[in-house]
Formats: sequence, structure tokens, C-alpha cells
Amino acid sequence: MKKTPRWTLRLVAACISFAGFVQGVQAVPLVSTEQVAASQGVPDAAAQRAQVEATLARADVAAALQERGVELAQVRSRVAALTDAEIAQLAHTLDTAPAGAADVIGVLVFIFVLLLVTDILGLTKVFPFTRSVR
Amino acid sequence: MRRRAALALPAALLGGGCALQTEALRRTPPGGLAPQVELASTPFFAQTEYHCGPAALATVLGAAGLRVAPVQLADEVFLPARSGTLQLEMVAGARRHGAVATRLPARLEALLRELQAGHPVVVLQNLGLSWVPLWHYAVAVGYDLGEGTVLLRSGTTERAVMALRTFEHTWVRAGSWAFVALPPGRWPATADEAAVVEAAVGFERVAPRAAAVAYRTALERFPVNLSLLIGLGNTLYASGDKSGAADAFAAATRAHPDSAPAWINLATTLAELGQRDAARAAAQRAVAVAGTDWATQAAALQRELQPGR
Repeated sequence: MKKTPRWTLRLVAACISFAGFVQGVQAVPLVSTEQVAASQGVPDAAAQRAQVEATLARADVAAALQERGVELAQVRSRVAALTDAEIAQLAHTLDTAPAGAADVIGVLVFIFVLLLVTDILGLTKVFPFTRSVR
Repeated sequence: MRRRAALALPAALLGGGCALQTEALRRTPPGGLAPQVELASTPFFAQTEYHCGPAALATVLGAAGLRVAPVQLADEVFLPARSGTLQLEMVAGARRHGAVATRLPARLEALLRELQAGHPVVVLQNLGLSWVPLWHYAVAVGYDLGEGTVLLRSGTTERAVMALRTFEHTWVRAGSWAFVALPPGRWPATADEAAVVEAAVGFERVAPRAAAVAYRTALERFPVNLSLLIGLGNTLYASGDKSGAADAFAAATRAHPDSAPAWINLATTLAELGQRDAARAAAQRAVAVAGTDWATQAAALQRELQPGR
């Protein structure tokens, strides 16, 4: 193994001690506005999860799923199993769809029904709990 | 076949309905709403293929006194892979050029009132059907309740006249999505508190110092909103005005004595101003009101401010 040059070590040591020095100026950083806004109800992971669940609780969504032969309970358990990060990703998909942030049903039905159905048909593999009919 | 059916399903759920808002507005115009408005001086940028987003954005930025060419905006907000522009990026694109972009309530009346206040409105329309969407951004610049029309800068048409009921259909089909972009310090007439907070916080992300004026003016409308009070303090702090920041954080603690972030930021700022005793007292309050979310930070702050350190 090649030996690390001494000047590199000195540089690293200098950087570390300087970082420590800078940190000492403000030991506790200010709480950012975004953090405060998040605690004030600007959408965070928990709110996004609630939004997805509330949409699943809608009668029209339930009917749409049932018509496709998809059990609502199955979708619910899938959503319950998603981590905050995955929920955020899902909510992000809802947000960044060209439209429909306000009325997400079209996008949700697309995600849960179309992808679920194609999963069942074995065309894609997005939802791990679906079984292919083929 | 099943795939087809799945695609058609949302259409069955979303389709139908009539232009209820238009009918109500024309039958009994709400008090104070002008019968006819046209913001004739709004600039126009004819769009090139698929570039309705950048063109609409350049239009409202131009109206706000910020001259930006659609070509430049296209580089920033256009997604070639999707042949379009995402809504989030429209809002972020406005911010990047120094305008505060604020979502409007999803009501046609709010849109018209905004026009009456002199603010052109970016709207998203679905010109297709709900299952064969054809998304389009345009800028509403006027309306005529008597004629039942809305005026748009749209596509390659400088003054597109559209029946208000048709517009309502296409707009509602796209989620009733609309926003106004204004220079910091001015706010849409109809925006609600949550939309104002969202817009100000978003603006702070790209302009941590210039956002102070946005917070200050937003507080005139919503004087006790915690996020706005903290935002004013943080932006003043970022611009080097620590005594102004301390005043803002102190106001936040008066309006929200149970807010740990307000006490934490006040204590930190007072300590940096050399007011150690006042800072210690604030840190003590922070520890007292900190729930699980802020306990670690409040305790660290209190340790830092202990006498003899």
C-alpha cells in the first residue's frame, strides 16, 4: 500500500482543527424556517402519508380499486409498509405529475390500479406483494 | 384490454359535471367584483413547440418588472423527456428570478379577483380529456362577466378570448391550479395563510436575505404566524442585522411562548449580541418548552451558555 504523503496528513489535520474552530463560533445553529414551517403543518412525511391514506379512504377510489379486482386492504397494507422516504417518493410522484396535485385521484388510480394490474399480469414488477397470473 | 379499461377508469370518475362556478358568478356576481377587467399592458411571448411553460413564466415575470427571455427559462424549467414543464418547477423558476410565487385558492372567483387587483395569473389547463390529457400553461389577463369570457396570453395567440365556462372546464380538469408571481413585498389579494407561508419559505430558500421584506409584508396580513415570525428573524440574521433578528425572535416568543424554536433562535442571537444573561434566560425557556423534537438542541444551547464558558 502506498504511504500517504506527510503534507497530505498535515493538510487534513489543519482542515479538521479549522472545522472545529469554525463550529465553536456558533455551537447551536438557528432553527431554520423550513423546520418551523414543517412543524406548523407545511407538508412533511406524516402529512403526506395522511394524504395518501385519506385518498385511499375515499369511496370513489375504493370503488375504482374494487372494480379492478384489487383488494383495498392489500393496498392499505402496502402503504402502511412504506417508509417515510418511500411515502415522500410516492407523494413526490403525485406532486410532479403534470397536473392533479389538488385532485390526486387520477394519478393515484394510475399508480395503484394500472401498476397493480400490470403487475398482476406480469408486465411490470413494482409492487412486491402481487402475484403474477401467468 | 384490461390495461385499456384501467386507463379509462379515472375518466369515468373525473369526467362530467358542468361549469357551476361560471354560472354562479354570472347569475349573482359577488360584491366588489368588477364586471370587466383587462390587463392590456401584460407582455406577450409567443411559445415555440411545447414551450408554453417558459412562455407563460416569462409573461408574468415581465409583468412583475423582471425581464427574462423564454429561451433562458426553457433551459431552467423545461423537461425534454416529458415535453413539458412541471408545476413545481414553474413556481421554483419564478423564485429563481426574484419573484415570489404564490398559489391561489382553487376557486374561479379568486382568479378573477386577482385579475381585478392587477395581477396576471398563470393557469394550468387540460385542453384534452381527463384520460387523454393535453396540458397547457397560459396566463389569464382579463375577463368579462357580461360576455362570459376570459382573456388569455396563450400559445401563439396574444389575446385569446375563451368562453368562461370552457375555461372553467379546462382549468378544473387540471386541478384548478393557478399562481401569481410578484416582486417580494407584494402579495396576491386572495392568497390564504398557508399559501403565503409556503411562498415565503420557498423564496427564502433562493434568497435568504431578500426574503426579509416578503416576511415583513406577509406579517402585516398574518401578524402572529409562527413560521413568518421565525422567517423574518432568520432572514434578518442572514443579512447581518442581528439586533433586528433578536427583535423578530422576541416577537415570536411573545406570540408563541410555547415555541421552542423561537426561544432557541432568540437565545442564540442574544448570545451573539453579547447579552449573555438574557440569552441564558431564553435558553432556559427553550429547555422548559422543548418537547421531544427540540430537547437535544435546547439542552446543547443551555450548556453552551453556562457561566464560565
